[in-house]
Amino acid sequence: MFSATLKRVRERQKARFSAWMNRRIPAAREVTLDQKRIFIFPSRTGLFFLLVLLLMLVASINYQNNMGFALTFLLGTVFVIGVLHTYANLSGLTLRAVRAAPVFAGQLSEFELLVSRPHRRQHYSLNFRWCDETATINLDHGKEAEVKLYLLAPQRGWYNPGRLSLQSYYPLGLIRTWTWIDLDIHALVYPRPVQGPVPAGDPSDFPDGDTIPVIGSDDFYGLKDYQQGDSLKHVYWKSVAKGQPLQSKQYNAYADRSVWLDWDSYQGLPIETRLSHLCYWVLHFDAEGEEYGMRLPGFSADPGSGEEHRDLLLRQLALFGVEPESGTVSGDSPVEREAA
Amino acid sequence: MKIEQQIPRNALFWILLAQFFLLLPHIARLPGWVFVVYLIAAFWRIMVYRGQWSFPPRWLKLILILAGFFGIQASFGSMLGLEPTVALLLVAFALKLIELCERKDAYLVIFLGFFVCLTEFLFSQELLIAAYNLVCVIVLLTALIALHQPGEQKLQFAPLRRASLFVIQAFPLMVVLFVIFPRLPPLWSVPLKSNAAKTGVTDFMSPGDIAQLSRSDEVAFRAEFVGDIPRQSELYWRGLVFSRFAGKTWKPVGWQDTPALERRPQAPAGEMGEGLEYTVIMEPTQQRWLYSLRYAWEHSRNVTKTGDFRLVSPITVQDQYRYSATSYPGAALETDLSDWRRELELELPVVGNQRARTFAVERRNQATSDLAYANDILDFFNEQGFSYTLTPALLGDNTVDDFLFNTREGFCEHYASSFVFLMRSAGVPARVVAGYLGGELNPVNRTVIVRQFDAHAWAEIWLEGRGWTRVDPTSAVSPDRIEWGLERALAGEGSFLADSPLSPIHFRNIDWLNKIRLRYDAITYAWQLAVLSYDSDEQFHVLEEFLGEITPQRVMLFILAAGILSLLPMIGVLLWQSRSHLPKEVRIYNKYCHKLAQLGTHRFPQESPGDFAERAILVHPQLESEIRQVTKLFETIAYSGQPGRVSLAELRHSVRRFGVLRT
Repeated sequence: MFSATLKRVRERQKARFSAWMNRRIPAAREVTLDQKRIFIFPSRTGLFFLLVLLLMLVASINYQNNMGFALTFLLGTVFVIGVLHTYANLSGLTLRAVRAAPVFAGQLSEFELLVSRPHRRQHYSLNFRWCDETATINLDHGKEAEVKLYLLAPQRGWYNPGRLSLQSYYPLGLIRTWTWIDLDIHALVYPRPVQGPVPAGDPSDFPDGDTIPVIGSDDFYGLKDYQQGDSLKHVYWKSVAKGQPLQSKQYNAYADRSVWLDWDSYQGLPIETRLSHLCYWVLHFDAEGEEYGMRLPGFSADPGSGEEHRDLLLRQLALFGVEPESGTVSGDSPVEREAA
Repeated sequence: MKIEQQIPRNALFWILLAQFFLLLPHIARLPGWVFVVYLIAAFWRIMVYRGQWSFPPRWLKLILILAGFFGIQASFGSMLGLEPTVALLLVAFALKLIELCERKDAYLVIFLGFFVCLTEFLFSQELLIAAYNLVCVIVLLTALIALHQPGEQKLQFAPLRRASLFVIQAFPLMVVLFVIFPRLPPLWSVPLKSNAAKTGVTDFMSPGDIAQLSRSDEVAFRAEFVGDIPRQSELYWRGLVFSRFAGKTWKPVGWQDTPALERRPQAPAGEMGEGLEYTVIMEPTQQRWLYSLRYAWEHSRNVTKTGDFRLVSPITVQDQYRYSATSYPGAALETDLSDWRRELELELPVVGNQRARTFAVERRNQATSDLAYANDILDFFNEQGFSYTLTPALLGDNTVDDFLFNTREGFCEHYASSFVFLMRSAGVPARVVAGYLGGELNPVNRTVIVRQFDAHAWAEIWLEGRGWTRVDPTSAVSPDRIEWGLERALAGEGSFLADSPLSPIHFRNIDWLNKIRLRYDAITYAWQLAVLSYDSDEQFHVLEEFLGEITPQRVMLFILAAGILSLLPMIGVLLWQSRSHLPKEVRIYNKYCHKLAQLGTHRFPQESPGDFAERAILVHPQLESEIRQVTKLFETIAYSGQPGRVSLAELRHSVRRFGVLRT
């Protein structure tokens, strides 16, 4: 009873905190750190240092030692000035979300950030932490630096790892400065591929034996001008080497060899399992170089092949049933997840 | 271990250097093995760093710590007192090196280092030591900064620059804190410098003691006079009065042995004459008595007068000690001699030195008065082949007899002692006074520097109607000592500071060297005056001068204003560091983009100013001309390469006015 109340209070506090954080540091693709976003407080080492200073002060008083006073005050002032120096180590930095690589659920997604400094000031010991992944960099030579963090994407859909924490103890280690930023960056997470029965699509839409040029199939058919989206595998590189415009090799195939990946062929299975099976077969047929189409409730793609086709279908699988707005993932708020 | 927990190699170097610097000045007062421990620990740590050795196992560390404990116990004979404590601290400081592997260990070593700095000040607060310790603090801060530059494996001087910057920025606020922090009395009593040698004149005097002291050129104290400085031969700095003679050794009367009524000085009768006002800063002596000219009135609260007209401090002088006083050399002292005092100043051992006693009575009977008798004795010293020397022949059991009638060579204490003996034997109250005579006048700041070799002993006799009168028997033998100091007096003998041939005093005749020496001494004095002797009294004066009247509000305001003022330079530096990389025109153009963003139109990254302008015009047609003007100006400046002054000003002007006319 009591613990339940406590839990509710704690949850409400967490919610209030995250709401406050969202107001104070709203999500953005690019964030420049300023006094609104930077927090600062003595570190544990700093508190220990203050204790040492107190001891030194007592020694100076007891020995009536003026140079002891001077030394103690010098170090005390160094501590005070350290606050500004530590703050300056984060202040003015700009963080930009570059990209998050799409992955399959249960895999590590690469989140890439770009940190840049507008000033001549050098920044050291910038410690990025996202979930439990950390990376520490110095920004002392170039104007900007890349930070890559590999985060485990737990489930399909849009994955946002929540608030990124950036902290630093530079230069003295006595003071910690930090910030939590929501970089509005989302990784597309495909379903985890799980082998299942071959989905038996209904091929009756197409007459038997007709030859229809379908891109990305087996037999060489001819050349055509390269169009955006054509697979790089099919570019006729020899002609490029001769200085001619890009051309794609075309292959033909028989329509009857195309496969339909059909949602309805896994009647009775849970949604996620169906998606996992479909995902598996998309990858399988893509690797085989075969043509495949897909039917989902509310979506249908004609048979085809190539990277673009594959990615389109995977995306459909990833976002099946997920709200179309790309902003938030359904479920808890980012900060709560971080705190938990 | 994560990278941020590791100690960068660069930081390791600075830590080792800081430790070396910190231990160096302690060498003289610590057993040598402490430094050897450091060298071994440092070597071990370097071998670990080079990957050739590993960190010592736990049992070995335990053994080393215990060995350190017992080593100190053996070296000092006790764990109490300041020196063993400091030695223990330094051993721990050195041994910590061999388990220095994580960042938190490094913090501990560096913080210990700050504490070691402080202990150095407990032994000496000289200007040079202070400057040296400042260097140590900078190196320690450098190590602390280098510790937070992960991955820096090469020796770098950038953290040194930053640490120096820190100290420079911290200086003003430190001075403010130093001035206003209340000087509280000690919270509890602390271990004293048990082994520190008592320096200067001792509280007993045997033949040869003062001669021993005269071999040192150390400074005893410096005095600054408000008015004219008296002649050197008038500067008899009284420190101790010896009234008890035990056949060979003279001793003062203890405070306990003095009747209550005799503990305070008798106010002089009649005219006091003109006063001499002066301030003295004494070097630590580990004793309680102070030095003053004849008949001194103290001005400092921390000084009291005694019945024999001396000044003493309530506590032993452990650090530089400052006091000021006014002396009246013309005052007649104790014209009314109490019975107790008369008896005391006539007392002699029952037996011994019979020849001198007989000699004294004979001479007194021939003289018309006590004063004539005293002069007669001085003539005796002058005419009977007595000589003044640092290295007199040793005396037998009857020291006075032996000296007066046999060896006839001696230093000031021989003359003073024999003279007083002769006076007392003839019924004239007399006593030996020990202290310093003269001193060197430093023309740079008009201070008188009194050194150990100025130590002197003379006599005071009590004359009816005149009270205590100074008689210096040495003047009868060596007038040069009185007029010109010890060096001239010993010129023929060549024994002046013979043990320290490199003493700068020897080079007084080399003009430029002498000037440097005196200038440095003046700086030392200023340092002592302004910084080391800053106490609650001084603080009160300084604050009063600043604030007029000391009220809590004014003090708070003063602290606030001083704090802000002293932080200003550092804020300036931070702003200077924040200068933008961007050229001026881009910064001005960004302001314009910011204004448009406030109107809801954001410029995409990498969007060209032209494209952005077209897009913005679509949204804000009413701003078309302004947008076009700013964009055109910016493009002209940015792409022509050479921003003219006029066009920059134009751009700035149009950006400033941008959007103002919008209704």
